[in-house]
Amino acid sequence: MDERDLINRVRAGDGVAERALYDAHVDRVYRLAYRLAGDDGLAQEFTQETFIRVFERLDTFRGDSALSTWLYAITTSVVLNGLRKVKRFRQREADLDDAHGVGLARREAEPDLKIRLRRAIDALPEGYRTVFVMHDVEGYTHEEIGAALGVETGTSKAQLSRARAKLREALADFAGEWVS
Amino acid sequence: MMFEHDDKRFDEWLQDAARDYHRPPETPRDAMWARIALERQRRGERRVIELRPWVRWTLAAAAVLALGIGIGRWTAHPETTDSAGGSDVVYQVAATQYLSRTEAFLTDFRADLRAGRTDARLAGQARDLLTTTRLMLDSPAADDPHRRALLEDLELVLVQISQLDAGRGGARDADLITQGMDQRNVLPKLRSAIPSGPMPVRTEGAL
Repeated sequence: MDERDLINRVRAGDGVAERALYDAHVDRVYRLAYRLAGDDGLAQEFTQETFIRVFERLDTFRGDSALSTWLYAITTSVVLNGLRKVKRFRQREADLDDAHGVGLARREAEPDLKIRLRRAIDALPEGYRTVFVMHDVEGYTHEEIGAALGVETGTSKAQLSRARAKLREALADFAGEWVS
Repeated sequence: MMFEHDDKRFDEWLQDAARDYHRPPETPRDAMWARIALERQRRGERRVIELRPWVRWTLAAAAVLALGIGIGRWTAHPETTDSAGGSDVVYQVAATQYLSRTEAFLTDFRADLRAGRTDARLAGQARDLLTTTRLMLDSPAADDPHRRALLEDLELVLVQISQLDAGRGGARDADLITQGMDQRNVLPKLRSAIPSGPMPVRTEGAL
């Protein structure tokens, strides 16, 4: 069954086609949600919300681009908006903890490179981190990233370049690891 | 040239090392599909459901908000401030009604928990209020930073309650929600945001 037939069958309310569409895309959606959220509960919640919106709005899909492009645009929108809410919530909790003097003591820097790398990626600005994760970690092309985030391909490339530069700077004291 | 060579090595190393960044487990396909089907069914039911009291209140609050937007646009004159004041009053009334309903709901929620009741009705009511909360967040009623913070707290609490599953660890999840509410003083903050007196008194003179 080609994509257009699948879409038409989903629009007609065919449950088998809905599941087929879900099965065809759920891995990439969940993987991206998990990579960006770093939490299984959030990743599942974002994946579910993505597919609910896809099924609700499939009538508005005009077919100008591939279904996957449209679907990843919904995914990134759901995930990034969801993460902003979680971040605001956690920030307020952290402020409250600080105000009450019960915040956890800051941990000493971990010597392990992978832990440092994870923290450095976490610390990237949202736009850089999203492009870096999509391109270098999940293997999306700049064209796919541009379409999903609603930015030019050149912007995606520039953000990736800046993300890598920031990571290189953050990990400068481990330079021997990749130079050798 | 040396630096460019190092940059290339770094990029290669980075792409390899970053594969461990938040490495996902196997996709829980069937579990997510079951929840998607359930949620779509619930949302579909909500579209055709009869007007229960909570739905009526939600629609009433939404209508008042829409009225406020309409008055604001209709009477908008840049050189005067009276019209802005008029729509502010409407938003104020909508916010007061909404906060009162939410306070009543969360108080009932806690009372139900103490009595050992966690049923699907709570989740349904939370979803109805969540719709209004999001309307409020997108309206001038959320311009005030204190009220916005309160609305965002309420949104999170209502999202959690709306996802309660009475059959599967619902009581434990509900306890965690109330602990979170207590830690963030949600109910005291909510009560202090509502003008004192019964509903007609709270909005008296506003319109």
